[in-house]
Amino acid sequence: MMQIIVQGLLLSGLYALIAVGFTLIFSVGRILNLAYGAYLMIGGYVYFYISQQLGLPVLAGVLLAAVVGCAAGLLKYQLLVRPLKGDHVAIEISTLILAVVLQAGIVLLFGDSAKVLLPIVPGVTQVAGASVTYNILAASIASWVILISLYLFIRKTHLGRAMQAVSMDKKGAAISGVNADRVNMITWGISGTLGAVAGVFFASYTQLSPSMWVAPLIIAVAVVIVGGIGSIIGTLIVAHIIGFMEIITVAVIAPELRGVFTMLLIIGVLVIRPQGLFGREEI
Amino acid sequence: MGLRWYNFALWAAFIGGMFLLPEFVSKGTLRTIIFANFLAIFAISWDVLSGRTGYISFGHPFLIGIGAYTTAILSKRFDLPLEYSIPIAVIVTMIAGFIVFLPALRLKGSYFALVTLAFMELMYQLVQVFRPDLTGGTRGISGIQTLTRGAANGYYMSLSLMLAVALSMWLLMRTRVGTALSAIGMNEESVSGSGLNTTKLKLFAFLTSAFVAGLGGAFYVHYLGSIAPRALFDINFLFTIIVAALIGGSSTIVGPMIGAFFLTFLLEYLRPYLPGAERYFIYGGIALLLYMYQPKGMYEIFMQGWAKLRSGRAA
Repeated sequence: MMQIIVQGLLLSGLYALIAVGFTLIFSVGRILNLAYGAYLMIGGYVYFYISQQLGLPVLAGVLLAAVVGCAAGLLKYQLLVRPLKGDHVAIEISTLILAVVLQAGIVLLFGDSAKVLLPIVPGVTQVAGASVTYNILAASIASWVILISLYLFIRKTHLGRAMQAVSMDKKGAAISGVNADRVNMITWGISGTLGAVAGVFFASYTQLSPSMWVAPLIIAVAVVIVGGIGSIIGTLIVAHIIGFMEIITVAVIAPELRGVFTMLLIIGVLVIRPQGLFGREEI
Repeated sequence: MGLRWYNFALWAAFIGGMFLLPEFVSKGTLRTIIFANFLAIFAISWDVLSGRTGYISFGHPFLIGIGAYTTAILSKRFDLPLEYSIPIAVIVTMIAGFIVFLPALRLKGSYFALVTLAFMELMYQLVQVFRPDLTGGTRGISGIQTLTRGAANGYYMSLSLMLAVALSMWLLMRTRVGTALSAIGMNEESVSGSGLNTTKLKLFAFLTSAFVAGLGGAFYVHYLGSIAPRALFDINFLFTIIVAALIGGSSTIVGPMIGAFFLTFLLEYLRPYLPGAERYFIYGGIALLLYMYQPKGMYEIFMQGWAKLRSGRAA
């Protein structure tokens, strides 16, 4: 029982980190970035290359992954999202194509086979009778630190409030002197950074493979749909619902079914409450 | 759309040429064309729903997979003859399409795309654990009864099926219903404002799309003789279908066919240089550039080029 709670909390922290970058883009730009999972893949592989193939320190790997993720986000905004001028269908489809292209690019560079990432922080400890690796503990702590600072950033700083304003009403924000285009671009950058960092932890939790982008994308989608748009707190709560649901399914029913209830939750919430459990009244 | 006699003559010549093709080309090329034919069927099915009405479906592998699995299970595990198992598979696919349709009643845009994606992923995970004695679990089913023997017969079958599907969809889209479906893609409110029941129209598009997808899936599995979950409920497969429809030209019938042949042959010609999944790098890159350049697809590019050529000649 204790074990389920501890594992659930840790996994949920990771899921919240995975989902928050996706939520950010969806809230501010109303854009479904289907290539979001690719940030995680890029982050994981950059970290793998820097710290495991070049043998540089762990921190350098994480930082570089973040930088590359940020660059990927900015590039994607400039080259894909801006030229398509808010045509949602076109953006969804082109980001899907982009994700497949990036996956193939990874195969080209690193090969098809899955790679095991050494733990970022090695070691195991006991928490309330459950054995916990320092790795997932570090991921969970990092996730909480990032989420809290992101929350403060959005609530307290000028730029964060500008992001909120754009997410509520683009025209209104523009009238109040907010440069919506610039805010959007910064949001894409932040989202890419968060995705890449989440990717490092996610890859060290599972493994590194060219198709690793699908699972986190589905998690992010589930969290956003169930939580509703424009709510970091909602993201956090739903990440915990999904994380615990998975841990309980694996422990009590069967490990193969771990994703099934997530999918059923998505479908159920969309049918019953399309605006999500915590979102604003609009779709 | 004005149709002249030469349109029909060209089509007749083209179809005649297609039927004579096995006399001239190798078996390997035939197999490639067979795959292109099936991809064209799937792309047409996607286009009837998503290309026309603007409701993007990321769940087409779900529909195709239901059709394929139903007939595979019925014929392999219950020894039902194919004359019965394929029609049953098509009906089951349409029922599944109806189930997917229910949430779509309330959803628009991105949310609809997401729910279909969730259905596909759900199916992928369920197939592996739910009654593995029937579905074959992760490994799928092999040794399914095939309809035809040899590349040439498979070619004739797939070609006839594709042409039949294309022709019936073309006829359907020329009716008032087809026009109304395209109008939904442009502006749904104005369609319902004109006194049409958009819910009924969308349901019709769904069921038609599911019908074609189920039919294509069922014939495809009886051509291949085997089925595996990862080959079907896969984002790469979904990607190929959508890209075929889009870069060929959505909202047309010829477009998805052009797209399917273009993509299949591109993939085939890349094989000697890039044997594995790296091919998708070039393939996807070309698709992305084409799509960004002209979202209406190659059909539109050809049409514009043709129009320029004609006006140039007239001047």
